Amino acid sequence: MSHESSETFADQVRAIPGGEHLEMCYSCGTCVSKCMIQHKFEPEYNPRRLIRKAMMGMKQEAFGDKTTWLCSACDLCYSACPQEIHISGVLLAIRELAIQAGYTTFLKTAVVDELTCVACGLCVEVCPYEAITLVEKPVMFRGKAVTVAHVDPNRCMACGLCAASCRSASIGLPDEFSNEAVIENLWEWMRSPVVEVTE
Amino acid sequence: MVDAARHPKVDVRTYTEVERVEGFVGNFKVQLREKSRYVIADRCNGCGECAKVCPIEVPNYFDMNLAPRKAIDVPMSQSVPLVYSIDMDACIHCYKCVDACGKLEAIDFSMEDKLVWEDVGSIVVATGYSHFDPSVMPEYGYGRYPNVVTAIEMERLNNSAGPTAGNLIRPSDGANPKRLAIINCVGSRDKRFNPWCSNFCCMYAIKNAILLKQAYPDMDITVYYIDIRTPSKGYEEFYDRARKMDIHFTQGRPSLITEDPETRNLFVHSEDVALGRVTEREYDMVMLNQAAIPQPDADEMSSVLNISQSPGGWFMEYHPKLRPIDTPTDGIFLAGACQGIKDIPASVAQGSAAAARAGRVLHAKEWEIEPVVAVVWEDRCISAKGKKCGLCAKACPYGAIEYEVGKAAHVVTAKCHGCGGCVAECPHNAITQLHFTDAQILAQIHALLAEKPEEKILAFRCNWCSYPGADLAGTSHFEYSANERGLRVMCAARMDADFIYEAFRLGAGAVLYSGCHPQDCHYITGQRVGARRAERLLKAFEKMGMTPGRFRVEWISAAEGDKYARVINEMQATLDSIPKEKLLEEIERLRPQMEKRARRMRETPQVEKALEYSRELETAMTGKEV
Ligand SMILES: Cc1cc2nc3c(=O)[nH]c(=O)nc-3n(C[C@H](O)[C@H](O)[C@H](O)COP(=O)(O)OP(=O)(O)OC[C@H]3O[C@@H](n4cnc5c(N)ncnc54)[C@H](O)[C@@H]3O)c2cc1C
Ligand code: SF4
Ligand code: SF4
Repeated sequence: MSHESSETFADQVRAIPGGEHLEMCYSCGTCVSKCMIQHKFEPEYNPRRLIRKAMMGMKQEAFGDKTTWLCSACDLCYSACPQEIHISGVLLAIRELAIQAGYTTFLKTAVVDELTCVACGLCVEVCPYEAITLVEKPVMFRGKAVTVAHVDPNRCMACGLCAASCRSASIGLPDEFSNEAVIENLWEWMRSPVVEVTE
Repeated sequence: MVDAARHPKVDVRTYTEVERVEGFVGNFKVQLREKSRYVIADRCNGCGECAKVCPIEVPNYFDMNLAPRKAIDVPMSQSVPLVYSIDMDACIHCYKCVDACGKLEAIDFSMEDKLVWEDVGSIVVATGYSHFDPSVMPEYGYGRYPNVVTAIEMERLNNSAGPTAGNLIRPSDGANPKRLAIINCVGSRDKRFNPWCSNFCCMYAIKNAILLKQAYPDMDITVYYIDIRTPSKGYEEFYDRARKMDIHFTQGRPSLITEDPETRNLFVHSEDVALGRVTEREYDMVMLNQAAIPQPDADEMSSVLNISQSPGGWFMEYHPKLRPIDTPTDGIFLAGACQGIKDIPASVAQGSAAAARAGRVLHAKEWEIEPVVAVVWEDRCISAKGKKCGLCAKACPYGAIEYEVGKAAHVVTAKCHGCGGCVAECPHNAITQLHFTDAQILAQIHALLAEKPEEKILAFRCNWCSYPGADLAGTSHFEYSANERGLRVMCAARMDADFIYEAFRLGAGAVLYSGCHPQDCHYITGQRVGARRAERLLKAFEKMGMTPGRFRVEWISAAEGDKYARVINEMQATLDSIPKEKLLEEIERLRPQMEKRARRMRETPQVEKALEYSRELETAMTGKEV
């Protein structure tokens, strides 16, 4: 009397190492208030709700959720979760499924200036997310097989460590976190009048 | 308590601990340690003159150390009996109390602990529970932030007989708090500490919130919770009342409490799950509803009383539904939170029930037990011949077997419940079980396999689960193979390896070894004794090269009639899949090994006679000589 069971979204998440035990979540919200990303960066960030979406089979909503793309796997929440769920493992499993389904991150991830990159490999060393590799490829004006850094946008968390470490300013974040924008910000801050600190 | 102390038939022994328990139902001997108070109970009239003159103050544990007591004192003014005692760790031997006591001469510094033996008929264990220490959760700051208190401290602070006479003040500055956070599930429902729900915290959170709101209508009170549980009569209505009084309930488990070092106010960081938004609210005081945990000496008590513990350490009842008051040891009963966390109404109900159960023993001249007890053939027990063994005692879930090298093992009949585990475990066939003797069971096996054994599925079923499971399959009209032949024993523990060998020696097609799921076992650990043996058998048969599936082990509850039918049908399918000649060849090939292993069985008293009788029966039934 066994029943054929079709694989649910939760099963798919569970099948990826790290994605197990999501069904144990009882929605206490400890992880949400523990998370620094929620606190400092993105008020809509909510691992509890994302786990819930996975459990309820809400695949598209989960893939489109900012939380899927923002977890930095710092694991602050892991030690706080009373159900001992490895939350970042579940979140990264959902991200993996999203990537497989053709979704990409909404973060403005690092870009390489292939004209100036000398492939010293420093950025590969410093990236905490192992998002950078050195590849051989044709680069216009330089040749058919040039070794340059390559960023996997689905792994990059846009932290900017690579930009800060690159000696030829060949890798960086776009727009408001570009080297120019950051320097401009600093100038503005330095030019601003000194504020008296009162007790 | 006062009524109990006054009752002519109740003898209250306070400041006394149980050290040893011997004997059995109706005839226990209990050794008590009466700890020395250094005050003679018969002479002390509770006037308290001694405490007035005592110069030494120590924290009063009854007030959660929030108030002092003297080195000679009573923990609280309602103590029963009202007899003072000296805390010798604190006493400086100034003897001022002796002078103050004067002519009563109640104080005796030479007093020592007394060990006494008492005869009792039954025992009720009502040792309650203890409190989880939240200081091991640094995120809540208990122990570091003075205004974070536990629920039990709050009970004292908000009690008119407490250290502040009921005026709720916060420890840092003595001010009345205006904003209070109550946090549920501190160390409960938390796999890192205690996985269980502590049962009463939701209700006392509501109770304390209501009491405080009545006393301080302006107080802003928020209860943080994961789930609010109000499952008893009137409880949900009580919760409604709290909400009508404008007490806030926030779904969300705080992840952090921080403190403003100047004001000593507290910030509670939590998601408000209903809003899906993180909040950080400021309070004057925080109360932590810490988990209820077993008493620290629960393990020790369980071995003194020879009662078992459930996972987590609570004392285990005989059966969660049918015998929730009894322990597996006849004559010992459970009441209150020591058996599992419960609130006062449930504790009192269980206490009354335990008193009635205990009374039954006291009023009985004789105690009836099931007649299926184990008996030792003393001349066969190798321990009597000075050899080390004791396997029977190890298998017994009730500690009913007294074992000592040089003497034959002895079954204390009053403690035996008749699972038969010892009988099956004894490698020398030196124990038997009345009404389920080896001889009787072997005769059944022979009879059931008398005709075309290779077509039969011999099913060993336990009395409580798999047998009724098969019954249910029948009454529910779940069809299963007519080649099944059922054989009942009390427990999987009784399913002797010899029976299985004998069945295969006789040429059985397949054998089922079935009993309760481990958590349903009616003999505490009987199923596990049987399961371990079944594992060994599975391995042995695999090594012999028996076709997998001919020996099968399944745990089937009384409600799983469908499973029983399915298992038998699957076994039939296994048999059908083996070509007849191949099966017969396998039976013949394995027969000598089975014969060798079942050899000892024949030496067991009465077996030959029983088999002779069953042979006659077979001849009568089948008309052919066996
Ligand atoms: C903060 C708080 C508030 C509560 N408020 C309520 C409420 O409002 N209403 C309600 O219904 N319930 C309430 N409860 C629950 C209530 O405390 C328990 O339901 C109740 O105490 C259980 O009673 P008990 O007799 O089983 O155990 P206990 O009250 O724990 O009593 C056990 C007794 O056994 C003694 N003992 C322990 N070990 C030994 C030993 N080895 N030898 C001799 N003696 C021993 C202990 O000293 C203790 O006196 C509250 C609990 C807490 C923590
Ligand atoms: S802390 Fe754990 S249990 Fe609580 S909501 Fe987050 S994942 Fe679920
Ligand atoms: S592991 Fe991810 S979800 Fe958890 S606290 Fe860190 S960033 Fe937030």
